[in-house]
Amino acid sequence: MIWPPRASYLFRNILYRGSVERELDAELRAYVDLLTADGIRAGLSPQEARRAALLETGGADQVKEEVRDARTGASVDLVGRDIKYGWRSLRRNPGFTFAAVLALALGIGATTAIVSVVDSVLLRPLAYADPDRLVVLSHGGGGSVAPANFADWRAQSRAFSDVAAAEYWTPTVSGSDVPESVTALHLTSRMLPMLGVRPLLGRFFTDDEDQPGHDAVVLLGYGLWQRRFAGDANVVGRQLSLDGREYTIVGVMPREFQFAPFWTTHAELWAPLALGPRLADRRGSSLRIFARLRPGISIAQARVDIRAVAARLERQFPGSNRNVTVVPLMDLVVGDVRTPLVTLLIAVGLVLLISCANVAHMLLARAAARYREIAVRCALGASRGRVIRQLLIESLILAIIGGAAGLVLAYWGVRALVARSPAFLPRVTTVSLDGRVLVVTALLTCLTAVVFGLLPAIRASAIDLAQAFKQGDRGSAGARGRLRSILVGSEVTLALVLLVAAGLLARSFVALRRVDAGFEPRGVMTMTLSLAGTGVAEPGLRTPFYREVLERVRSLPNVSAAGMINHVPIVGDNWGIPFSVQGRPKPRPGESPSALYRVVFPGYFAAMGIPLRRGRDFTDADNENAPRVVVVNEQMARTIWPGVDPIGQRIAFDDSTWVTVVGVSKNVVGPAVAAPPENELYLPYYQDAGYRRDAKKHRTYFSLVARARCSVGQACDATTLLAPITGIVHSIDRNVAIADPVAMTQALDSSTADTRLYVILLGVFAAIALTLAAVGIFGLMHYLVAQRMREIGIRMALGADPGRVVRLVVGEGMRLAVAGAAAGIAGALLLTRFISRLLYGVGATDLTTFAATAGLLLGVAALASWIPARRATRIDPLRALRSD
Amino acid sequence: MAHNLLQGTLDLLVLKSLALGEMHGLGISRRIEQITKGAFKPQPGSLFPALHRLEEQGWLTSSWGESEAKRRAKYYRLTRTGRRQLEQEVNEWNRISAAIGLALRTS
Repeated sequence: MIWPPRASYLFRNILYRGSVERELDAELRAYVDLLTADGIRAGLSPQEARRAALLETGGADQVKEEVRDARTGASVDLVGRDIKYGWRSLRRNPGFTFAAVLALALGIGATTAIVSVVDSVLLRPLAYADPDRLVVLSHGGGGSVAPANFADWRAQSRAFSDVAAAEYWTPTVSGSDVPESVTALHLTSRMLPMLGVRPLLGRFFTDDEDQPGHDAVVLLGYGLWQRRFAGDANVVGRQLSLDGREYTIVGVMPREFQFAPFWTTHAELWAPLALGPRLADRRGSSLRIFARLRPGISIAQARVDIRAVAARLERQFPGSNRNVTVVPLMDLVVGDVRTPLVTLLIAVGLVLLISCANVAHMLLARAAARYREIAVRCALGASRGRVIRQLLIESLILAIIGGAAGLVLAYWGVRALVARSPAFLPRVTTVSLDGRVLVVTALLTCLTAVVFGLLPAIRASAIDLAQAFKQGDRGSAGARGRLRSILVGSEVTLALVLLVAAGLLARSFVALRRVDAGFEPRGVMTMTLSLAGTGVAEPGLRTPFYREVLERVRSLPNVSAAGMINHVPIVGDNWGIPFSVQGRPKPRPGESPSALYRVVFPGYFAAMGIPLRRGRDFTDADNENAPRVVVVNEQMARTIWPGVDPIGQRIAFDDSTWVTVVGVSKNVVGPAVAAPPENELYLPYYQDAGYRRDAKKHRTYFSLVARARCSVGQACDATTLLAPITGIVHSIDRNVAIADPVAMTQALDSSTADTRLYVILLGVFAAIALTLAAVGIFGLMHYLVAQRMREIGIRMALGADPGRVVRLVVGEGMRLAVAGAAAGIAGALLLTRFISRLLYGVGATDLTTFAATAGLLLGVAALASWIPARRATRIDPLRALRSD
Repeated sequence: MAHNLLQGTLDLLVLKSLALGEMHGLGISRRIEQITKGAFKPQPGSLFPALHRLEEQGWLTSSWGESEAKRRAKYYRLTRTGRRQLEQEVNEWNRISAAIGLALRTS
């Protein structure tokens, strides 16, 4: 065969169709003319000759059609006609087309969106070089480490090529603009080279800059660089004033750089960590230690190595170096969200399966309904291949539209997820639509469409024509009817599993929202005043500053109470403080009981709305000259002095002065609302030397808590307090930065935001599943009614009770739904165990949830079969009998 | 099967009819009728598809010209590969018909 000429003809036939057709026309006309001329020569009249010629030619259109079929590329032409036909046939059944496209789009879209997020958050490695070789050294899996231990581990361990430390820092950026408090980290100089990243501009820190006095250099995050320096390309070498000290900018980090990845994730400023004399400090745990495994060393070997080092150090310094752990960095980054993300992945997989089942049985139903049409086409001479190709093309059109809609849905889905995802989802900013996932899911669903579109086509095209016409629509009921029932039943099963999971999570969410916060959040505004680097940070000026702010805030007309605390619950830091109890043997080092360390001004409990169960609040008389006092929470009272009145009991801290318990406060929730309460103790500010006098950075801020005057039953917007309070603070000292303003209602909301997100997502999936299952049952019953139209018509004509007909049809649908639901309950019982970690206040096999969701599903199933059943009772017997 | 055989036969006859020189569609039809002594009288519905198919195979070329009666018509002519194809098909045909004739004579 000679290809080049044929290929050029293919080209010509398709692209220059018009001129090819015109030439064919001319050729045929010439043929008829020649024939007519022959006729005239043979003695016929011109009219007779022409008629004879036309007769002999045999119809120009048929000839042209034959020629077209013989041309190269004729099949392309035919496919074009099949596409037109398929498109028309899909448009004739908008209900079917819409349902099928919707099922495809939901399956493809939801799967792609969720898998994209899971992939970015969970599966794609961190944006550092060889991220799986990076580990975190800590006490007990995540705790912070004392500088002396860090120094010893770095010097004595053999398993790591690098060990580096980071320390939290919130400097106030001052200068010409409004002072701004930013999240930052101090890093030892090896940290950034160890991560294997590069600066966008400038350089990293040198080893010399780890020394005190040489550490006034700083690296900017991309966001801060854009915000404060408008992305100035010559920013390296410029000065930046942090906490009143001048730093030289040595570099800018790229936009995608994020460090640290699991804590202080919003840091946008990095400076050297000059430990200096602190290298000998074995008590103040404030460092996070990162390390890179030496090539060829496994994490198990590293654990053995660091444990040997720690054991040696513990013998040397009893109480230190307990429970040292080596954890892959990735585990810390994704640890908390692994279970929910895997759950969502499974959920979305179920949605995908349901979508496929739905598309499959809809196509089966459609093929069954078109049994006659196919038979007619076969009878009119359409070849089997032609019929199959026609149906295949129709399925492909469906799949392509569904896939396109799915792509749009996936795009929106990812954008919505990223926009709505709370801060707890690590690395969510790196999420993008995953092309591979899209391709895989699209292929899967489209394959379903093609297979189930084709199966009946192959069978139908091989049908015995006589049988088909004799039996009409009933001929197809057998095996395929069973397959459809199984598909719809499975949809019910999967939908119930999803409904149960969503129901359990929703109940957990409700339970979480009902948790007693221990304070009255309505109308409470909090913010942190950062004094570092300002004049009022001077020990002698600090207390008067705080007192003046408090007094002037209290005198605002719409403020009913105000107080101050070192760390606001839920949103603030949590520092532990070990103590010993009077009358008990002195605990061994490292085994003291401890409590959350709170320092408050008198009036804090009233401002926050924390009830005092016993005893009294602090007063201004509880000052440095008065006997030292403490308020403990109920949890601490219960665990330290079970069955004894805690008032009057005494505890001691490092300095061995006895501190007397004067009050017991209600427990207040922490950042994880579901977590059990912790020991918590409150010390009066006037008796805490650290906060009054210590010049260290972490002692020079305090948080203000102000309660708005709210009338009962009215909305109460605490954020209106922010502006007047800011005005007061800046009128006293305009260099004081106001950081993290947050209303406590908002803080409580955000503490349950993760569960809320899972509830919403699973709820959406469950709703999709329920809808698809309902559509499935409806479609099946509708089809059964159509099939048995004649039988039902005869029954009705013979006087059957419409109620019985409805019961017959609904009964059939419900048999399927009950069977599917029973399997669903069994499946849910097996699967919900895996989400028990996400549940709160509800068991994984909660009877109410199971019963309610099964009831909902069966109710929807009953409705979905009742609609076609009602239609059955309206059948006109005469029409039903004639319908064949 | 029968359709294919017929098509193959028609192709062979068209090629053969053009062996002596170029001709238009009606001329080819007449010529085939004549050389088969009226056994074959190709109708336009099968002749034109065959002409177009053979042309797309590269065995014929066509051009518009004037008929003996001064009428415009499309003339077909064998190409070099068409002539080779004719030779081949004639050989093939002889081989097959000899074989079939032999088969029919025995028994």
